[in-house]
Amino acid sequence: MNENPHVRAQRLMAESAVEVLGKVEEAWLREHLADCVDCAREAATARELLHALRNAPVSVPRDLAARTQLRVRLRAQEVSEAANGSLWLWVVTAASWFLGVFSAPLVWKVFSWLGSSVGVPKLVLEIGFVLWWTVPALVAVGVVLQQRALNAGTKGI
Amino acid sequence: MSDDTYAIATGLRQHDPEFLDRLIEQHQHRLYRYLLFLTGNPALAEDFFQETWIRVLERGGQYNGKSKFESWLFAIARNLVIDASRRKKLSSLEELGDPETQAPYDPPDERSASVLQLLVNRESAQVVQLSLLKIPAYYREVLLLRFSEDLGLEEIAALTAIPVSTVKSRLYRGLAALKNAMTEGAA
Repeated sequence: MNENPHVRAQRLMAESAVEVLGKVEEAWLREHLADCVDCAREAATARELLHALRNAPVSVPRDLAARTQLRVRLRAQEVSEAANGSLWLWVVTAASWFLGVFSAPLVWKVFSWLGSSVGVPKLVLEIGFVLWWTVPALVAVGVVLQQRALNAGTKGI
Repeated sequence: MSDDTYAIATGLRQHDPEFLDRLIEQHQHRLYRYLLFLTGNPALAEDFFQETWIRVLERGGQYNGKSKFESWLFAIARNLVIDASRRKKLSSLEELGDPETQAPYDPPDERSASVLQLLVNRESAQVVQLSLLKIPAYYREVLLLRFSEDLGLEEIAALTAIPVSTVKSRLYRGLAALKNAMTEGAA
């Protein structure tokens, strides 16, 4: 069944607004629009509509860019400070771990001496020694949690 | 990767505020227009505008320069709008267009009257702008991306995470809806 030429023209006009028509269809549409006043008027309307859509006037609020730039700069400062803080935290944590590892024999001797002096059972000494080693990690976790809480508070303002 | 997008990707990785200042200046009109038409609300558009640039600062390292910067920027803005709409218990962007009635959008009659007279008698761009706000956000968005931002169908599909066929159908239906809204406005 042949499509009504005006309906076909309408369909092709809609398609041409969205994507590129094939050469045959484009040529047929051009010929049809040259002969049909109503469809040509419709095509002109569609062109005007698209032109208006492309040129829809929108004015950006006067100081929006400046306000945004200020906010971005403040946030950039926060991000930079947080990054520096994190770097120092990693350095200090790493240093404390190295010290912990290399001073372990000495610390164990101190614990043994304290244990023999005070008369503390060996199990308690071992637990105390392990806890002593976890102190840097616990401090680091505490600092990280505090930083996150501060960052969340700042974002919430 | 073009030189422009490579330069933007490099600048964003460095978190350079002056570089971001220039990007904000360059892209303010397009981003604000996109957000304004997406939300239909100037105050919301301003909020999302600022939040978008904060995200650009924080996640600038994720931009690899392989796609257009505008597409990436719009995708960030779009996700912020969707996240906000979800927090307000709206399940998707679609509902932004018609928050009061949850009924599906009824497509306009294809035989609606010609808008030629309307265009002759009024400032056409202003009429289009007002009429755009009367159609659902998911039509408004693809119309704006295609005709105002000149994005390709594939780029729109990638940005909105929908198939190209759906982009096309939204464009067809969106144009018809816009035409209908303009006709109703003239009546």
